[in-house]
Amino acid sequence: MTETTSVLPLIAVGASAVAVVPILLSRSRPNLREGWTFAAALVKFGVVLLLVSGVRNGTTYVTPSLQFVPGVELVLRVDALGALFALVASALWLVTCLYSVGYMRGLDEANQTRYFAAFAGSMSATIGVAFAGNLVTVLVAYELLTLATYPLVVHKRTTEARAAGRKYVLYTLAGGLAVFSGTLLVYALTGTTAFTPGGVGDSLSANPVFARAAFALLVGGFGVKAALAPLHGWLPDAMVAPTPVSSLLHAVAVVKSGVFGIARVVLYVYGTDDLTSLGVGMPLAVLAAATMLFAAALALRQTSLKRGLAYSTVSQLSYILLGLAVATPGTIRGALLHFSAHAFMKIALFFCAGLVYVETHVETIADLRGIGRRLPATMTAFAVASAGLVGLPFVAGFVSKWYLLVGLVAAAHPLLAGAMLVAGLLKLLFFWPIVSAAFFPDDASDGARWDRETRQTEADWRLLVPVLLAVAVAVGYGIVPTRFPFFDLADRIVEVAT
Amino acid sequence: MTDLLVALVVLPILASASITFAGWLRERTGWPMAVLALLGQTALAATVTVGVLERGRASHTIGGFVPPYGIEFVADGLSVPFVVLVAGASLAVLAYARETGPHSNPFYALYLLLVAGLTGVCVTGDVFTLYVFLEISGLAAYGLVASASGGDAALAALKYLLVGTVGATFYLLGVGYLYAATGTLNMAALAATLSAESTLTVVAFGCVVLGLAVKMALFPLHVWKPDAYEHAPWAVSVLLAALVSTVAGYALIRLTYGVFTVRFFAANPLVDEVLIAGACVSVLAGGILAFRQQSVSRLFAYSSITQFGLATLGIALGTVPAVVGAAVQLLGHGVMKGGLFAAAGVIETRTRASTVDAYAGRSEDAPFASGALAVIACGLVGIPPTVGFVAKWYLAVGALEADSLFVFGVVLASTFLSLTYFGRLVQRLYVDAPEQTPELERISTGMSGVVIGAAAATVLLGLFGFALASFAQPAVSHLLHP
Repeated sequence: MTETTSVLPLIAVGASAVAVVPILLSRSRPNLREGWTFAAALVKFGVVLLLVSGVRNGTTYVTPSLQFVPGVELVLRVDALGALFALVASALWLVTCLYSVGYMRGLDEANQTRYFAAFAGSMSATIGVAFAGNLVTVLVAYELLTLATYPLVVHKRTTEARAAGRKYVLYTLAGGLAVFSGTLLVYALTGTTAFTPGGVGDSLSANPVFARAAFALLVGGFGVKAALAPLHGWLPDAMVAPTPVSSLLHAVAVVKSGVFGIARVVLYVYGTDDLTSLGVGMPLAVLAAATMLFAAALALRQTSLKRGLAYSTVSQLSYILLGLAVATPGTIRGALLHFSAHAFMKIALFFCAGLVYVETHVETIADLRGIGRRLPATMTAFAVASAGLVGLPFVAGFVSKWYLLVGLVAAAHPLLAGAMLVAGLLKLLFFWPIVSAAFFPDDASDGARWDRETRQTEADWRLLVPVLLAVAVAVGYGIVPTRFPFFDLADRIVEVAT
Repeated sequence: MTDLLVALVVLPILASASITFAGWLRERTGWPMAVLALLGQTALAATVTVGVLERGRASHTIGGFVPPYGIEFVADGLSVPFVVLVAGASLAVLAYARETGPHSNPFYALYLLLVAGLTGVCVTGDVFTLYVFLEISGLAAYGLVASASGGDAALAALKYLLVGTVGATFYLLGVGYLYAATGTLNMAALAATLSAESTLTVVAFGCVVLGLAVKMALFPLHVWKPDAYEHAPWAVSVLLAALVSTVAGYALIRLTYGVFTVRFFAANPLVDEVLIAGACVSVLAGGILAFRQQSVSRLFAYSSITQFGLATLGIALGTVPAVVGAAVQLLGHGVMKGGLFAAAGVIETRTRASTVDAYAGRSEDAPFASGALAVIACGLVGIPPTVGFVAKWYLAVGALEADSLFVFGVVLASTFLSLTYFGRLVQRLYVDAPEQTPELERISTGMSGVVIGAAAATVLLGLFGFALASFAQPAVSHLLHP
């Protein structure tokens, strides 16, 4: 393990923030404006790839730091966990850029400049969360992420969007406040907020009452964005945002920054030993399991496809939290694999939902009957991705859930393992009717509503290609998981953190 | 070098007098003369800063009369940032006032008198001289508020005058008691001789705090502030919001620990508790009152009540980080609140919107001012990496160090209070649809510059807040643990 001082992480974080300015300036020339977005996304992804390959060779990148408050510096530090999150987020942003262009232009949305600028800003904040070297730096990026995504949530400027935006800001800034308080308590107890693999040590367990309070505040604060019940209420409402936002931010970047924060707290502040000795791991695991079941059940009751997918996200995120909370090497590996696997599958599903909306203006689950006739490739992709989320073999979800399940059984938590299986069953109950009705409607007239299209005219390629790319990765990941860097990075994290 | 401390006060007074005389010869000479004077003042403040940075505390005895009998001027790491703020902010506001006015010479004479008074409060080491400077700045401020045309401004100025004078009188009463108890007016001598237990000291403290609380506009002594800020010309609102209460807050730190000392709180814990309770009430009341406002100026004025409550909390806690936090809070709030009024001034000048409802959709008519307003609002809420966050960090650490979980909670809760009303305002600006598009007025470069500068300062003071705090920290440590 070597530590290198480097400005690469700064570039990875800053690229899209810098791009905000030219994006705003080229408001009257959409192609140039989107060019800036693509350039920023490419730079970001390229630099992240460089960092990832370095991290896989055992290097940790650290940027020059800025003293912020006593004992705390603003610093970026790229380790395996950060690299994992950044890789997922920056790769998917690149795909989402293309999708955004297709979606926003397909629907002829208003305020596209503001949209692309806020999106670029959000991605800077996301990578900032990933690369932050201590709790305070995470907090800075976490709050900026809230602010940068707010314009995207209220994009439609309807009463509904405004209400969703208010709820979003109140929930997430309250979460930020909780993280702030928790960070202060950790700082008061240990004198540091830096991340240490395996935890900062005895100073936390020496003061159990405060250490537990700090843990509750930190997990509660990050839990808002991780949509841990009962803090998940903002997420389904935020689906009022344009679908690319729901796809990347509210299925990957924003929600995973919450999960990521909890992973940092569990693995790099408290450590797996303190988690057990303080007795805070089990309550979190139970809460996660409850969220998993509860959200999966609520998903069944949704009429809107996007809201249904949002509840599915709530449920899936808790798989990751469950693995982290149980905190054996097996469950942590499963959780980290699910961190990336879920991202590809869920973004594919949201992309499908958005594509359906652009092409046919269908938003509700009931209206999807027979739509397989109109959008065969799209709905096939949807079927594959949803099979992955249910946990069927040969798609990414199977791999991660398998590790998680084996880990839970090995850690002698049969009840939690059972809860996981039940949640998987509930997912099947959610997805199966959608897929089956799309291809095999009960009533033949439902299918006849849709015109059959050729492969070339099914959908705008800028919408379809991202869908197929995301599904392709999910399937590849499901068949040869070890060939993907996610597997290796997860291994490294498990190695240093336990 | 210590002569410079006197020059800091004398320069603006002389300039003020010259502007008055020049006005008899030629109209509208006030602005350029004020610019020259304040450039000089800023240079002086910078020189003093460098001096303190190199050699630490500086003191100068006026006319060679040695304290405890003579008057002493002092500059240390705590007072110098306030001197710089006064000089810098008043210079910036001149740029703001270039085109909007007021343009008359008497206005700029008063303006410089205000600067002299505020600077004097920061550098004096004598409780009575502090009273004199407090009154100079107060009288100048009343006059500046009244410089707007219309009866509302006159009434607001009168209200300000009445309440402000009562406050100053209370302060003077406290000084009288101090003199009766010790026979000296010098701060250092008072700190050495004042008996912490005596009832006279408690009464003196009560009077001094009451007087300064009026100037700081803590609840329920705030009544002058919303009216004065709403009806004064924009340039004056910006200046007053940035400086007047801020300097009173500085005086509270200086007097509490430089005169009454930590021994006083140790001997009278009840007094400390009352101060904390009062500050908490201020934090809460300011938030609730701000939430109900339609007028943007009044909303900002009520938000100040919360923010000064926070600073007072830091002062009352009495741990080093808490007092440093209070100083950062005062300085940061000065910059941010001045910036908010500047932004509101731009928005009103450009679109004639001055109420929360009228702000709907105005971000497109005044993009820079709206952006600055949003950034500064984040600063006041305490979102990192702004200066508001740094202040809250110090205050919260200070509260934990003082084992006061209650204050810790109040500091954090204040964030949420501010969020509710600033969130409403920013949402109006950016998300809501405008009712009709007004005819847009041109905005001077000076006005835009001040607004953008304040927003930039909000972030930069946050990123480099540690440097500012470290500058003040040794002086605060010395003040608390001499």
